[in-house]
Amino acid sequence: MLPTLGHVAIVIGLGACAYAAIAFVMGGRRRDPAVLSSARRAMYAAFGLAAVASAAMMISLLTHDFSVEYIARNNATTTPPFYSIISLWAALEGSILFWTLLALGWSGLVLHRYRARHAALMPWVGMTLALVGIFLFSVMVWPGNPFTRITPIPIEGNGPNALLQNHPFMGLHPPLLYIGYTGLAVPFAFGIAALITRRTDEAWLGIVRRWTIIPWIFLSCGIVAGAWWSYEVLGWGGYWAWDPVENAALLPWLTATAFIHSSMVAERRGTLKVWSMGLVIATFVLTVLGTFLTRSGVVQSVHSFTQSAIGPWFLAAIVLALTGSVALLLWRLPDLGDRGAPPRAVSRESAFLFNNVLFLGLTFVVLFGTLMPLIFQATGGQRISVGTPYYNGLNVPIFAALLFLMGVGPALPWGRASWSSVRERFAIPVLLAVLAVVTAWALGMRSLAPLLTIGLAVFVGSVMGDEIIRGSRARSRGRGEAPPTAVWRLATRNRRRYGGYVAHFGVLIMAVAVAISSTMAQSTTATLAPGESATLAGYTLTNDRLVVEPLPDDARVTETRAEMTFSGPQSGTLATALRDYPNSSTAIATPAVRTALGEDLYVTLLSSDPKTGSVIVRIFVNPMVVWIWIGGFILALGAAFAIWPDGRRVPAAAPAAVPAKVPARVPAEGS
Amino acid sequence: MRALLLPVSVAALLALGALALFTALQPAVAPTRVEQAARLATELRCPDCAGLSVAQSTTSSAATIRAEINAQLAAGATPDEVRRHFVQRYGEWILLSPTSPIAWLLPIGLLLAACVGLAAWLLRWRSPAPAAAAPVAAAELRRVRDEAEALDA
Amino acid sequence: MRMLRWLILPLLVIPLSWVLLTGFSVNPNEVPSALIGKPMPSFSLQTLSGETLDSADLAGRPVMVNFWASWCGPCVTEHPLLLDAQRRYGDRLAIVGVIYQDSTDAARAFLDKHGDGGYPDAVDEGSRLALDFGVTGPPETYFIDSSGVVRAKQFGPLDAPALQTKLAMIGVSE
Repeated sequence: MLPTLGHVAIVIGLGACAYAAIAFVMGGRRRDPAVLSSARRAMYAAFGLAAVASAAMMISLLTHDFSVEYIARNNATTTPPFYSIISLWAALEGSILFWTLLALGWSGLVLHRYRARHAALMPWVGMTLALVGIFLFSVMVWPGNPFTRITPIPIEGNGPNALLQNHPFMGLHPPLLYIGYTGLAVPFAFGIAALITRRTDEAWLGIVRRWTIIPWIFLSCGIVAGAWWSYEVLGWGGYWAWDPVENAALLPWLTATAFIHSSMVAERRGTLKVWSMGLVIATFVLTVLGTFLTRSGVVQSVHSFTQSAIGPWFLAAIVLALTGSVALLLWRLPDLGDRGAPPRAVSRESAFLFNNVLFLGLTFVVLFGTLMPLIFQATGGQRISVGTPYYNGLNVPIFAALLFLMGVGPALPWGRASWSSVRERFAIPVLLAVLAVVTAWALGMRSLAPLLTIGLAVFVGSVMGDEIIRGSRARSRGRGEAPPTAVWRLATRNRRRYGGYVAHFGVLIMAVAVAISSTMAQSTTATLAPGESATLAGYTLTNDRLVVEPLPDDARVTETRAEMTFSGPQSGTLATALRDYPNSSTAIATPAVRTALGEDLYVTLLSSDPKTGSVIVRIFVNPMVVWIWIGGFILALGAAFAIWPDGRRVPAAAPAAVPAKVPARVPAEGS
Repeated sequence: MRALLLPVSVAALLALGALALFTALQPAVAPTRVEQAARLATELRCPDCAGLSVAQSTTSSAATIRAEINAQLAAGATPDEVRRHFVQRYGEWILLSPTSPIAWLLPIGLLLAACVGLAAWLLRWRSPAPAAAAPVAAAELRRVRDEAEALDA
Repeated sequence: MRMLRWLILPLLVIPLSWVLLTGFSVNPNEVPSALIGKPMPSFSLQTLSGETLDSADLAGRPVMVNFWASWCGPCVTEHPLLLDAQRRYGDRLAIVGVIYQDSTDAARAFLDKHGDGGYPDAVDEGSRLALDFGVTGPPETYFIDSSGVVRAKQFGPLDAPALQTKLAMIGVSE
């Protein structure tokens, strides 16, 4: 019953999106508000139908309805309710259903919010979003039906992928990533609409900027949470392996970040229109490409989905989206001429432009590296691997250059910089950076990457600090406010700039934490009989006992657990386990992670001998890892602060044509 | 006091650079066998994982390869010979960074070209700009702008 | 000159879609053997029955080396094919099972349960032979002709047609 309802909802949803696409075009051409509002309602209905289908899937998962093939393959009667619910997005067809729900959620939100504004743009925005909806529903109607039935109905299902039912974080990072991913269709839709209607003015840029940053915040959180998940689950002591799945999430993030920066120049000077439009298109196409890479089974990855009939559909979507949008861009190229004068060589604008070149450099390296095995296969048949040494070798210098620019950019004034200002602003930061490097060296740090990162971070941090002190001092002098009040008022009245500083501060923390944790981690492998101890980096670990027993909430899973006592900078007990799932040939590691602000103690059980009780464990002491997650949180917080609606003023960018109340009621849903 | 800051900073930066250069130019201490083994382990792919190096992986085949690296280095093999040993058996696939020069030169070349191109564009557009104002006036203008920006005009 | 900018479109779309399209025809997890056309690695290993198996003793006959483990699911699926091959070609073909990262007890239990073909199963201490063959994970099967040259490799479980084809490549057929 429920699966049939879900399937019917999907078929009607496809119809609703198809109707909406046609009605948006017709209504837009005839300027007929009745047709347009029916198109909008069709999109709301499509969202409702996707919600019905998702709810049908969730309830069927919870009730273990194995007549549905997806549920028989990804659920079992013993699966705990939490993992049943998140199975909605843990495998291929379900994830596309969830994806559709989110994409239409964004569409509904945007169409509703701007229902009475931007009358010329919105029909085309609606059309583009409806086309995305048509594609997603079509995938579910034809190659990837999540409600496909099987007969005979199995008594027991296969259970969820063992790796994905091992940690509650599975409930966190995929939704965050998907929300971010699907949200990036919104700026794309505005871009297409602006190109079609030739309204590529600053008003367009402002909307697109905001609607890029909102999904960008989710995407950033999703990437960091995904790294955190793999750190807590995969058991190798690291958090980033340049796996195609990670790269697929990073690619649109990189181009979106480039756009967020370049759009400030574009907005301020009325230049870089083609560039901005190109970044918006690239970001969307990269989300489709990333989906293709992780869902078609053409690249090897830790958790890519199995090879399926969905692949060719996504390939077709890439070709269509790329061809359509680039053709439109080329066609409208004459309209996109720059009005303003190009920036000066030494100015904040030029720093932003170099920032963009570097971000696109990162994008190219990651894209090229991810596709390289496919390229070699296609051209010569040779199988090659592209891994951490390649990506780090090329990307670390680019990251360092970006960090440097992060300090230079904000200290240079818009327009033009004079030599004296550069001199005045950079003298103290450079001195502090040198002092920091010398101090770190004196404290015994010898590897180049963390020394360089610390130097750059101190440089950037003190440039930003200097900016804030100057601004608040000027303010407190002028208005007689206490310094903290002055800082707060300054920040809330200039959200974009100070939100940017907060986000950059988060990046600095992450950069230092990554540099230190990846170069100064220590690890050892120890074989411990009962009662024996191993030591590493000031920690002593003792093998207390080995327990083999079924999991309390899922008796089909056998857990082999080493219980240990540890002492050192932290002390206590921990349990590190290997879990045998009936549907997995290899045991899944469940590492023990003891987190402190200074370092993590991370213990993975490699193997054990139940007869003697002896265990083989890999012990890691990973410095500063927790600061990566903290830095990521600050980054997202800063971005949210920057776009938080501010009732007190009209942004300088808002042209007079737009009613003043518009920017005052900017959306807050996403943040 | 303020006037001293700049020379001091520049001197500090130069001193640090000189120190780094001096350290870099020191005759490199030959890497120990442990260091060589650790480095090789990060370059070789664990055969039964998705994209992890044998240094990162905890699978037993990764442990076997680590042991084999140690054994070969102990028997007097050079790191290159160890690499070749594994490439002969697994193909280039076992190396985590591609050996083809295109893999490295293409991104580096494109990035450098983009940077040079951007710099050229910025500098080309600077020349036809209106005659530069007197330096004092420019500094004054900048100060005014900064203050204005700080107060969020 | 203005029309030239339209060249960007095919230059962008065609190579990208071509590269992605070729991806469909290849299993990304499969690694072709670097040993094809090269001599088989030599070995001398203990078998489960306690005898010594030396690669020199196999010279002059076509050899099929099968890496397997009791914990490997697809190894169960392909096992009947191996038993069948031993029955049919046992007089002309030397089949060698190599136990991959598994305990001898578990391997014996596997054979008791699924049938012992009567061909030797070698214990590969420290996976040395698996490394020499470039094994990425069981099951994997290597086909060596009578002159001792590796001719083919099966990645993943064998099926009847693949077994036929690859045996024919080393001169073994009905």
